Amino acid sequence: MVNVETRKYRAYRLQRNAAPYMFILPGTVFYLMVTIIPMMIGFWMSFHNWTIIRPTKPWVGLANYQKVLANPVFWTAMKNTLVYTAGVVPFQMILALLAAVLLNTEIRGRTLFRLLYYLPVVTPLSIAAVIWTWIYHPNLGLLNWFLRSIGFSGRDWLGDPKVAMLSVIIVAIWSGLGYRMVIFLAALQGIPETYYEAAMIDGAGRFDLFRFITMPLLRPATLYVLITSVIGSFQVFGLVNVLTGGGPLDATNVLVMWIHRRAFGDYQFGEAAATSFVLFALILAITAIQWKALGREVTYE
Amino acid sequence: MKGVRAVGYRRSRWAVLAGRIAVYAIIAVGAVAMAMPFVWLVLSSFKTLQEIVLFPPTFFPRNPTLSNFKQVFDRIPFARYYANSIVTSVIPTAVSVLTCTMAGMGFAKYRFRGRDAIFWTILSTMMVPFPATIVPLYVMISRMRLVDTRLGLIIVGLSSASGIFMMRQFIMGIPDELLDAARIDGASEFRIFRQIIVPLCKPAIATQALFSFTNHWGAYIWPLIVVNSDELRTLPLAIPYFSGQYYSFQNLINAASLMAVLPVLILFLFTQRYFVQGITITGMKN
Repeated sequence: MVNVETRKYRAYRLQRNAAPYMFILPGTVFYLMVTIIPMMIGFWMSFHNWTIIRPTKPWVGLANYQKVLANPVFWTAMKNTLVYTAGVVPFQMILALLAAVLLNTEIRGRTLFRLLYYLPVVTPLSIAAVIWTWIYHPNLGLLNWFLRSIGFSGRDWLGDPKVAMLSVIIVAIWSGLGYRMVIFLAALQGIPETYYEAAMIDGAGRFDLFRFITMPLLRPATLYVLITSVIGSFQVFGLVNVLTGGGPLDATNVLVMWIHRRAFGDYQFGEAAATSFVLFALILAITAIQWKALGREVTYE
Repeated sequence: MKGVRAVGYRRSRWAVLAGRIAVYAIIAVGAVAMAMPFVWLVLSSFKTLQEIVLFPPTFFPRNPTLSNFKQVFDRIPFARYYANSIVTSVIPTAVSVLTCTMAGMGFAKYRFRGRDAIFWTILSTMMVPFPATIVPLYVMISRMRLVDTRLGLIIVGLSSASGIFMMRQFIMGIPDELLDAARIDGASEFRIFRQIIVPLCKPAIATQALFSFTNHWGAYIWPLIVVNSDELRTLPLAIPYFSGQYYSFQNLINAASLMAVLPVLILFLFTQRYFVQGITITGMKN
């Protein structure tokens, strides 16, 4: 009898101790399998002359990195990525903040408006790009039709190297604005009403309220939106690939597109892996700079 | 609030009214800009090919027709692309919801050796941009002979850091006493998971499922790399492909785009509350 009891107890202890590992095992393994492990392999690849055709992958030291940095197209892609980031992030943030502040006031139909602003976020990016390609069409598109009907002349929005990047930036702002708006809205709703009431009793005007209460208290949300937006825009690919394919004349070629092309177009896997690490290092550095410059601790209490 | 406002502001009724009109005007202009691509898409997908290539274009369809929606199925293998999209979205969503909920329970409700190290490893890799791993990931998948297979498409989406994080945050809010009470009644840990944690996590699970589904439904870069054959194309690959290849199919492209976007839009309209919850949980607390 005693024996059965201890055996039962042992079985119980065993499942109790094993349980946490069993719970985390599948999620952790599946996740690390597509992040840490490829990261390590990629790091190794970036120091080897790795092409799909040749069976040997000789060690080449930093040669891949040197090749990347010596390639003028890489620098074009770098410049375009920076232009894209500078064009998307600030404007999207300001518009999202404006939308959030206005939709946080008591206006009619604000739920409907919030929905409308959010719809582009759930729309698959590549399909959004197809929709916009049709809007941007030089002859048959909505945009040129609208511009012509109010007396302007139309343009070849995606085919003209001078405006192609601008056209891509507009679609990017449109597609990601709603997500940032929701984050700002959540942060706005976390600001205690009493702060505004107290300030108003002290005679603060509407602009003062925004400048001295809303802005400082939105700081953590703003920092979060800024950092994630910059990280996201350094990784832009699908939108550009469908809208312009990187053209015309590399005018919208961005870093991830360059990685994709080097790997799956030219089969220079080692060089593509090296480019990935340059991109990764760049993202880490820019994130660290933003964090250092703006990441002062802010508490609500 | 109203009383307080009277103290703070000495603005005339006209100024208040003008302010309100300005607010509505800005929001309305914004809403038109945000919604216009969808409006244009819907209107275009009811136009015949002859009307679509008219210059200057018409705004409202002259002879609204449903034939585009039918032709999409007849002239391009749209049903197959649709089915591919459903399979490669539903399976990873179902699996990742399960793995993330389990992992969330593991990290939230137990103390064990290496827990914090593993958890922080997972969180810190959220910083790693996906494009930075695609090249070696492709090499891995090709060594596993999974290039151009459904499994190769699905395998990268079976778990997610943000999902694990969200479920952990949610499960931490469930009181330990509930679990202990079940243990005293002799329930195994897995039974506790199934009968206590999962039912209590329903809102978080719904949110996680929605996020995962929309992500996979729109997945582009990984399918683009892994899929070569037309049989495996998903909607985000197929529609741009046809849009680039066959210009004269524009009427079909519009109808196809509309049908591809519709499931996520409808899903979102019915579940927007969960979406907002999910964003605030995963977004704000880290």
